[in-house]
Amino acid sequence: MHLDDIRSALFYSKKDIFKNKKIFLFITAAIIFATANIIIINGFMDGMIRDLADNTVESSLGHLNIYPDQEERFIEGLGIKEEELNALKDVEAYSPRVSASGVLSFKELSASANILALDPDKERGVTKLLDKLDSGTAINSNDGNAILVSYRLAEDLKLDTGDEVTLAFENGNMKEYMIKGIIRTGSQEFDSSTVVMALNEARRHLDIENRASSILVKLSDKEIAGDYKPILMQNLGIKNVKTWKEELEYLMSFTEAYKSFSSIISAVGLIAASISVGIIVYVNVIHKKRQIGIMKALGAKDSFIFTVFIMEALLFGLIGVPAGDIVGYLAIKHMEANPFYDAIMMTWISARFGNYLLYNATAVSFAATLLAGIYPAIKASRIDIIKAIWGG
Amino acid sequence: MDIIKTGNLKKSYMLGKVEVKALNGVDVSIQKGEFVAIMGPSGCGKSTFLNMVGMLDIPTSGEIYVEGNDVTGMSSNKRAEYRLRHIGFIFQFFNLFNELTAIENIMFPMMLNRMPNYRKNAQELLNLVGLGDRIHHLPSELSGGQQQRVTIARSLANSPKILLADEPTGNLDTKSSKEIIELFRKLNLERGQTIVMVTHSQEIGEKADRIIHFRDGIIEK
Ligand SMILES: Nc1ncnc2c1ncn2[C@@H]1O[C@H](COP(=O)(O)OP(=O)(O)O)[C@@H](O)[C@H]1O
Ligand SMILES: [Mg+2]
Repeated sequence: MHLDDIRSALFYSKKDIFKNKKIFLFITAAIIFATANIIIINGFMDGMIRDLADNTVESSLGHLNIYPDQEERFIEGLGIKEEELNALKDVEAYSPRVSASGVLSFKELSASANILALDPDKERGVTKLLDKLDSGTAINSNDGNAILVSYRLAEDLKLDTGDEVTLAFENGNMKEYMIKGIIRTGSQEFDSSTVVMALNEARRHLDIENRASSILVKLSDKEIAGDYKPILMQNLGIKNVKTWKEELEYLMSFTEAYKSFSSIISAVGLIAASISVGIIVYVNVIHKKRQIGIMKALGAKDSFIFTVFIMEALLFGLIGVPAGDIVGYLAIKHMEANPFYDAIMMTWISARFGNYLLYNATAVSFAATLLAGIYPAIKASRIDIIKAIWGG
Repeated sequence: MDIIKTGNLKKSYMLGKVEVKALNGVDVSIQKGEFVAIMGPSGCGKSTFLNMVGMLDIPTSGEIYVEGNDVTGMSSNKRAEYRLRHIGFIFQFFNLFNELTAIENIMFPMMLNRMPNYRKNAQELLNLVGLGDRIHHLPSELSGGQQQRVTIARSLANSPKILLADEPTGNLDTKSSKEIIELFRKLNLERGQTIVMVTHSQEIGEKADRIIHFRDGIIEK
C-alpha cells in the first residue's frame, strides 16, 4: 500500500471517527481504562511479589545459604568455615543455624516443635527475624533460660510471654524455659511451630559442637549472589549452596497462579474495550454501505476500503492507549508512594513501576484495537458496489 | 474514433431461480466528444448498460472496447484502477460523502488518484460548476441542485475520458434540471467531454447530440 493511499484513507477515517464526539470519548475512555488497568494490576502484582520475596529473604534467608552435603545432617568443621567466611571480602555477615526437633509442654498441653538455634548477634547481621516480634523481647547470645516461640505455637499451647514451659529435646534432655517473646514472620512454615533459642544454650543439650544445619550468608550486594556462589563453594570446600533466588523458586511458582489470574482480569477489560471499538467501526460500516459503494465506484480498491476502517480502529488506539499509559503511570506512581500494611504478612506492600509495564500495556492494547477493526474492515472491503449503490 | 464500442453485450441477473436478462445483446458505438442520451422505459437495462461501461460490474458475455481496447475480463483491482483513471460517475441519488465538505468531496478522488495540487484543482472545479463560494459547506447545507453540481465537479476530478450520468436530474426540479443540462453542454463544448447520460425526460434527452433508445435489454431501431 502506497503512503499516499494511507494518507487518503486517514483523511476519511478521521472525519468518520470524529463526527460524533461523544461516542468517540466513550470508546476512548474504555481503552484508556483498559490500558491503565493492565499497568495497575501488573504493577501491583509485581510489587506484591517483590515485597513478599523481600520479606521472605529478610526473615529467613541469606543471600547465599549453605547446607550440609547430600546425605549429611550437619555441616562439619564450623569453626574453620567461620574463619574462612571472616576472610572473604564480599561476605558482610553470616549466621550459623541448627535445626532440631522437640516437644514443648505448658500445663497439661504439649505440642511438637521445630527448634531453631541461632546466635542472635550473628543472626541480626543477616536477617530481621528477631525483629518480627508480636510481643516480648528478643533473646540474646547468653540467654540460657529464655526462648522465643512462634505465634501459632503460642496459640496452640495458650502461651503468653513470661510463661514457664518445658522443652524436651530429641535426645530426651529436658529443661524449663521462660517465654521471652512471641514471633511472627508471615511464613506459614515458620509460624506454625517454631522455638527459637540461643545457639550456646542448644549446645549444652545437643551434640552440635562445631556443627551447623545451615549457614546464612549476607553479601555486600544481593545481586552478586549468583556469581559469588561458586567462589564461596570453592573457598569453603562445600557443595550445597543455594542463592536466595533459588530458595525463592517455590514462592515464585506459587505467584505464577496469581499472575495468570491478574492477566485474566486485564484481558477481560481489554476485550470489553476492543469489542466496543469493533462495534463502533462495524456500525460505521453498516451505515456507510452506500458511501463505501461510491468510494469503490470512484476507483477505491478493496484494500483501500479495508485500510480506511482499520485506521478508524487504530485512531481509537492511537489516542486511547497513550492516554491510558499516562493514567496507569500516575496511578502506579501514586501506589508506589503510598504502600499499605499487610497485617498477615506483617509487611508493607507497594506497587512497583517499571518501563516494561508501559511497553506491555501499549503493545497489548494496540494489538487489541487493531484486531477489533479487522472484521468490520474486511466486511467493508467486501461490500458489493452494485448492491450498495442501489441500496440493496 | 469510437471511444466506446460494445459488441453483443449481455448481462443477466439471477432473481432466485429466475434469470432476468437486463441486457440482451447490445451493440453501441459512441464517438469521442459525443454527448449521448440513453432513454427507455424503466427496467429496460439503461443503468445496467452504464454499469458495464463504467466497469462497476462485469458482463455475462460480449465485449466492451474503450479506445479500441477490450476491457472485459479485467480483475476487480484492474477495474477499480480503470474507474479511478478514466471514468466519472454521476448517480441519480445524491452520492456525496456526508461528513466531507464540498471541496473535500472533490479532493478525495484526487487524493485517491495521487494527484498534486488537489486543493487548488478542487477549488477550480467548484468554480466551474458555479459553487466557488460554497467550498466549506457540508452536503446537508446545500440544495439538491447544488449537491448534484458538486457531484458533477467530483466526477470531473480525475479528468475522465467518459462521464457516465445515471438520471442526474431525476430528483431535481425543472429549473435545477435545466442548469445541470446546461452544465453538461458546457463541459461537452468547452472541454470536449464525452458524456453518456441516462434520462427519463424527453425534454432533457433532446439536449444531447443523439438519443439511444433501449427496450427490454436491446436497442430499438
Ligand atoms: N442487481 C440486480 N439483481 C437482479 N436484477 C437486477 C439487478 N439490477 C438490475 N436488475 C434487473 O435488470 C433489469 C434492468 O435493470 P436496470 O438496468 O436498472 O433498468 P433501468 O435502469 O433501465 O431502469 C430490471 O428488470 C432489473 O430489475
Ligand atoms: Mg436505472
